[in-house]
Amino acid sequence: MFSKALFKQSMKAHWVKWVFVTVATCVMLAIVIIVLGNLGINDIRDSLKNIFVQANQESTVKEQAVDGYELYNTTVDTYGTFSPMISMLGILTTGYQGAIDDYQASLGTDSLTEEQRQSVRESYAQEMASNPLISQFIEGMDAETVKSFFVYIFVSYDTMTNNGTDTASADNDQILINAYTSMVGDMAYAQSIAEEGATEEYAQSRAEGSKEIANAAITEYKAQASAGTITGIEVGSEQFLAIFNPLANDYINNYIQDETYNTIYQENINNGMSESDAELNANEYAVMTKVIANTAITTYQFWIDEKVSEAQENGEEPDLTAIKADARLSASESISDQMPESVALALTELGNMDIYGLIIGSIFYRIAGLLLPMVFVIMTANSLLAGQVDSGSMAYVLSTPTKRRTVTITQMVYLVVALFAMYLLLTVTSVISVFIVGGNNFAINYAEILLFNAGAFLTMFAIAGFCYMCSSLFNRTKYSLGIGGGLTIFSLVCTILGLFGSSVVPSAMRISAMDFFNYLSIITLFDTVSIMNGTLDYLWKFAILLGIGIVTFIIGVFRFEKKDLPL
Amino acid sequence: MAVIKINHLTKDYGEGRGIFDIDLSVEKGEVFGYVGTNGSGKTTTIRHIMGFLKAQLGNVEVMGFDSWKDSVEVKKFVSYIPGEIAFPDLRTGTEFLKAQAELLGLKNMDYANYLCEKLQLDTSANLKRMSKGMKQKTAIVAALMANKDILVLDEPTTGLDPLMRETFLEIILEEKEKGKTIFMSSHMFDELEDTCDRVAMIQNGHIVDIVSMTDIYNTPTKTYKIEFTNSTDFKNFKHTRYKIIRVQPQYNQVTVNIPNADISKLMKSLTKYKLKYIAEIEYTLENHFKDVLKKMKEESKNVQ
Repeated sequence: MFSKALFKQSMKAHWVKWVFVTVATCVMLAIVIIVLGNLGINDIRDSLKNIFVQANQESTVKEQAVDGYELYNTTVDTYGTFSPMISMLGILTTGYQGAIDDYQASLGTDSLTEEQRQSVRESYAQEMASNPLISQFIEGMDAETVKSFFVYIFVSYDTMTNNGTDTASADNDQILINAYTSMVGDMAYAQSIAEEGATEEYAQSRAEGSKEIANAAITEYKAQASAGTITGIEVGSEQFLAIFNPLANDYINNYIQDETYNTIYQENINNGMSESDAELNANEYAVMTKVIANTAITTYQFWIDEKVSEAQENGEEPDLTAIKADARLSASESISDQMPESVALALTELGNMDIYGLIIGSIFYRIAGLLLPMVFVIMTANSLLAGQVDSGSMAYVLSTPTKRRTVTITQMVYLVVALFAMYLLLTVTSVISVFIVGGNNFAINYAEILLFNAGAFLTMFAIAGFCYMCSSLFNRTKYSLGIGGGLTIFSLVCTILGLFGSSVVPSAMRISAMDFFNYLSIITLFDTVSIMNGTLDYLWKFAILLGIGIVTFIIGVFRFEKKDLPL
Repeated sequence: MAVIKINHLTKDYGEGRGIFDIDLSVEKGEVFGYVGTNGSGKTTTIRHIMGFLKAQLGNVEVMGFDSWKDSVEVKKFVSYIPGEIAFPDLRTGTEFLKAQAELLGLKNMDYANYLCEKLQLDTSANLKRMSKGMKQKTAIVAALMANKDILVLDEPTTGLDPLMRETFLEIILEEKEKGKTIFMSSHMFDELEDTCDRVAMIQNGHIVDIVSMTDIYNTPTKTYKIEFTNSTDFKNFKHTRYKIIRVQPQYNQVTVNIPNADISKLMKSLTKYKLKYIAEIEYTLENHFKDVLKKMKEESKNVQ
């Protein structure tokens, strides 16, 4: 079944070709991985990606600034509205304490659980909110908001008086402030946690931040009130806003600057930077962020003023909610938001494109690196059978007591072993090259590079099987080479053309009709995209390649036994 | 027992090409010649003997083995020189002979060396740069070195110079001495005459005649060409009762064909004439086959 002598003969006949092809392909591969790896061809991609990351950060900062500014103003406005009616709060809390006492009496107990207290708060808040005597003071707020605010007040009251046991320490002003800030905090938490990719930690910090801003706004209002600067000025009036808007702007800018400084400084320290460097760098960032925040707030306020005066000129009542929403959007726009959508998309895609995957996977392993092994396989497969039959030299082997099957199997083993050895060396080369450019930190990790080699080997195995079959079927070199080699090269050319239609090419450069060529090429079964994306599609395609190789080799072996040989 | 037995072998390539109903039998120790023009079917027959082609009808048996089904068994007895010389992709003649010996399981190269010496072959030469004659010699050595019982040679003297051809024929006779059976094709009658016991002629895929060389040498009649010094003698002789097959009056020549028994009688009667010379025209294989072909032509004309 196997002839050592014939195997040796085949090795002697083809080793020069084999060495050349193997060395050349290995060198090409090493160059592709090492040289391009050191050039950092992903820099462009990374810088593009950075632009978008920064744009996102910029947008976030702007949003935070605008939201903080708005919160500050609302707080001042709300507190300013409520503080003159602070005595009302006493009536409310006394009523609440009464409801609690009633409930305790009905249960015949001295103390209620937190759940029971909560249900009393809910029902009493509901009652008060729907009471016209109360609700007339808080015009313009819907019953639901009023009710939940009352609940906050009751909680605040309970906390301060230790569940009503220490009613003497109930300070109405402080109850109001506490209720308001915890409501603001809860709202910020709910809003943040609903954002995409938000973590619990992030939502918590946003809630804390909101509370801080609300507290600061109230403190500022009290300071202005005791200084007498707002005496006689109606809350929410133009004059009022003229005092507080700049204060809000200043406060938020400084707040964001401090926040950024703290975050970046901590990050830098964690990344192993020296304290002085960390300080310097964080400061740089913080100042930049402050400018961004200031721009956003200025834009926001400007937009609102413009729209409001525009509406007033037209004699309409300005819809403040809608205007503010528009203003927020416009103020928080980043670079990518300002670009036309198609350009932004193309740039985003370019930023996400994996140039290493494209060059090493789709261009080297599927095209450039296949060419020389293909030439080797086409030439060798032909000369192992058809070439020797055509020239007549096969007569010498077959005039010795050597079976035809021994000849075909020996030649097949030679072809597969030669190919396997070639890809073994390529695999070693690629692994070493990847190691040199940083191992698993490289854009293509060891697992991927091993799969690339395995895929290229299986592709060549299928092609070798096909060429071998042609070599067995035909007695003439011209047919064996013409059909075996011709179709193989056709496949390669189709893959080159198909590349321009495949998904690895950015859409700006892609001609999707060219994808048609991929359906004509056996190399399409070598799915480098699936390997890079980590899906398992490549596995069944590998199985098909292996199957094609095995079937064509078997046909080749059996066909050769049964045919006439012109020797 | 027949060593090579070809039974009703037919391979029809269409358009009258191929071989048809070939029936041959080669005995042990016999040198069998196979002659025919180019394209007559010699190589096709030989490829069937070697088991390279599958017969459409009939079969070939070598030492009792079917040459297609048991081709490996057959090759244990047979050595082959192909008609077309093309070597495997190896560097030198030595390398090729070594590889061939390995395939044959041959350890002892003494006989190969003897053959090389006899044929004055330098095996260290590059296979690709060898002359046609050198290639042929290499092929001869590769086939004969295994010292097998049967030799199948397809036009083995192609490319050899006349001296080398002589040497080769000597080798063939040596092999014959050793009792080997040789099947050899050629389109040259003289080399077959010198070596063969029997010769078959193939024409357009059909065996037209098989002749034993003893029959050629021992013909029942002899042919003589006689030239007379003067025309009187020439004219007188013409009137005798010898069978004259050709007359060339301008040279005073006659060609006579007489039974072997009449030779002395002719010699006696010739003493009466003045002769310029007398020469025997030998009956050769070539003459024989020409006669056979002529006869066939006439027969086919008669049929028409």
